[in-house]
Amino acid sequence: MAGPSALWEALQALLPRTKEELKLELGEKVEGSVVMLLQEAAELFHGGQRRKCLQTCEVLLDYSWEKLNTGPWQHVDKDWRRVYAFGCLLKAVCLCEPPGDAASVAAALKACDMGLLMGAAILGDILLKVAAVLQKHLLSGKRPAPGPSQELPGTKKARNDHMPIPDVMTERTVPRLHCPSLQYFKKHFLVPGRPVILEGVANHWPCMKKWRASCVPSGFSPVEQPKDIGYLAQHQLFDQIPELKQDISIPDYCCLGDGEEEEITINAWFGPQGTVSPLHQDPQQNFLAQVMGRKYIRLYSPQESEALYPHDTHLLHNTSQVDVENPDLEKFPRFAEAPFLSCVLSPGEVLFIPAKHWHYVRALDLSFSVSFWWS
Amino acid sequence: MLGSRPTRVRSELSPSQTKKKDWQHSSLGSLIADPLVLWPPRPSGGLGTGSTELGLNRPRPELLEPSRPLQPGRSQPKTLRGMDEERRGTWFGFGFCGFGQALGSGLGRQVHSPEPVRMPGGSVDVCRVSASWSYTAFVTRGGRVQLSGAAGGAADGYTDACASEELLVLLRAGPGAGAELQAWAPGSALRGEPLWSHAVQEAEHGPNRDETQAGLLPLLPCARAYVSPRPSFYRPLAPTLRARRLELGAEHALLLDAAGQVFSWGSGRHGQLGHGTLEPEPEPRLLEALQGLRMAEVAAGGWHSVCLSETGDIYIWGWNESGQLALPTKSLAEDGKTTAGEASGLDEDGSEVKRVSAGEDGAPAPFIAVQPFPALLDLSPGSEAVKVSCGSRHTAVLTRTGELYTWGWGKYGQLGHKDTTTLDRPCRVEYFVDKQLQVRTVSCGPWNTYVYAVEKEKS
Repeated sequence: MAGPSALWEALQALLPRTKEELKLELGEKVEGSVVMLLQEAAELFHGGQRRKCLQTCEVLLDYSWEKLNTGPWQHVDKDWRRVYAFGCLLKAVCLCEPPGDAASVAAALKACDMGLLMGAAILGDILLKVAAVLQKHLLSGKRPAPGPSQELPGTKKARNDHMPIPDVMTERTVPRLHCPSLQYFKKHFLVPGRPVILEGVANHWPCMKKWRASCVPSGFSPVEQPKDIGYLAQHQLFDQIPELKQDISIPDYCCLGDGEEEEITINAWFGPQGTVSPLHQDPQQNFLAQVMGRKYIRLYSPQESEALYPHDTHLLHNTSQVDVENPDLEKFPRFAEAPFLSCVLSPGEVLFIPAKHWHYVRALDLSFSVSFWWS
Repeated sequence: MLGSRPTRVRSELSPSQTKKKDWQHSSLGSLIADPLVLWPPRPSGGLGTGSTELGLNRPRPELLEPSRPLQPGRSQPKTLRGMDEERRGTWFGFGFCGFGQALGSGLGRQVHSPEPVRMPGGSVDVCRVSASWSYTAFVTRGGRVQLSGAAGGAADGYTDACASEELLVLLRAGPGAGAELQAWAPGSALRGEPLWSHAVQEAEHGPNRDETQAGLLPLLPCARAYVSPRPSFYRPLAPTLRARRLELGAEHALLLDAAGQVFSWGSGRHGQLGHGTLEPEPEPRLLEALQGLRMAEVAAGGWHSVCLSETGDIYIWGWNESGQLALPTKSLAEDGKTTAGEASGLDEDGSEVKRVSAGEDGAPAPFIAVQPFPALLDLSPGSEAVKVSCGSRHTAVLTRTGELYTWGWGKYGQLGHKDTTTLDRPCRVEYFVDKQLQVRTVSCGPWNTYVYAVEKEKS
């Protein structure tokens, strides 16, 4: 395992050489007092005063965090996000000063994550590079195991739960229907491949009352899960705990498909507030039933695929490169114009996601959902 | 649904008691039981006269009361009389002072326990304190404004000040034509000319005529307008409102009128408006939940609101991310430190015990992130709250008997409990009890707290 000083050198190599280059160009929105602190942080860092630098970073982070939480997210001045990212950067590097232990490095990585999620790109995407170095260092040694969370893009780390609830009313919403007939659903949604929220279909499932009342499906305890729980996609959940199968039922509309009932894949999705599934598409039809908590979901038609910039590699060609709620429009300009539908899916509701329809999900609360993949 | 009397939260905090219309908490904890009302919100366009463009650092000058306790129903007596007994009082400060603003000894960036404020000329004469994040404005009885921290300078002839990062607003004394509202750039050190100025009329009529002209900022003495740190700076108020006090949060405003009613407007994303939803309000809207109760004080934090009834009850609502509502908060629950409903503290061997308060069935306790509807808060049995002030994420309340309670975000020592613990339940600041001091007024900056206290009368 690479030692602490090797890590330190690797990080130093990423940072600007001089104190003068370790700064941000900021507009008027950022007050003079904050600019003073930014300069002080850079000075302390270059002067080797890590502890004091960390203290100054905390102040910068706390103050910019308050700005990030003032007003709607889309109106937050980008400069505040850059200040936040700057604080995260120096904090992360300071925490790795030798002799660093695994806990400090993990904390540094967390600081990077926060900067990447809530901040904006600074100094040539330096946070990405620092995070990569830290990740590599941690993996080469011991790492606190977060449990069965996958590292594939299909599962994601949680966004800070201070992100605001999206203003769905200003976006086009997914239509809602109460118990449509099989024919109506087939004609207007299944065949043309249009999303719809079905109400009255799953709200009587026993799990809707049972699981919500005790806060967790039996077999789980959020208190015992490690903090960085990731997003648990338990493919085998219903096989491992067959009793849970009695609490749900396969939506009737699945009979409109070609496959057999046994071929329907049922997944359980459990994760904390803030969990994000990045924009991706699946080959099969999907009914997503919400049991507990709410999810913000955005849907893009397969016709818009080019504007969503899927990854080149075969492995990831079903995944978009764009961060939906924080898109880099310089890199992905067409994304801004791509039309979409959005909704907040609440307990008892079922969302029909047509096959190949791109979808992005963020959990607004501690969330439990069940998905049915069918053809 | 709206308008029903809020129920006491603390004694009923149990997951099994969730009712559909129980606004206070839900078994899921984070929001209220009925998502259909909260979502989707109304379109938020057209918010009127920039009422959401409110500054982060709310100006919060404090009126100094004579030591005689306030009688319910009486308007506040004028401050400039009967001050002799106050000369033995002292200003204390605790919390963040990273810019060198006078706040106690001023050593280091934080003060965790109350310390006497040290400033040039002494603090004995100070009758108003308005603290912004990076500097504090002190106003003396002699009319001198003294700045301390990232902004410096001093000037004479003023009766009130309202400090924010963007703007320092001063009220120039009358008489008559001389009375003027001035807005200065904090960095100007009060030299040169203000950015703008506006003639103001004295409060000849209206709800504030029995009170002193000053101590009301950002509300103007005539009560016809208030000052915002962001454009548009001068904001008229409907005369029908009969505004008595006005406080600004990061994105909202609270108004107390002559009849003791509370109005709120601005952004409601964190429940800070108290109308039971997360929707914004473009114009002052009456808090129906409090109808029938006469309020004596209001205070606005960054994203939370507090008011005190004339009988000394505390009503609180808004964002609880740091326990600033004295309700169990998720962040402390995750660390096992939430103390709502249970005693907390150290074990015999001094180790900090992790206690996760549990519901009746042993399930994890519910936590509350947002309280969009006023909740009644019990401080301690029999206590009457007479003053309240809020920082960006903490709350301070003063009782009739001169005790100070603080709770919420404590990272910079702004709670005054000798540490940096964040608390989600009210705790008395023992310093004043130990020193036999009675607290007479409290004024919070965003990350710190200023307190004026006098020696207890010897019996």
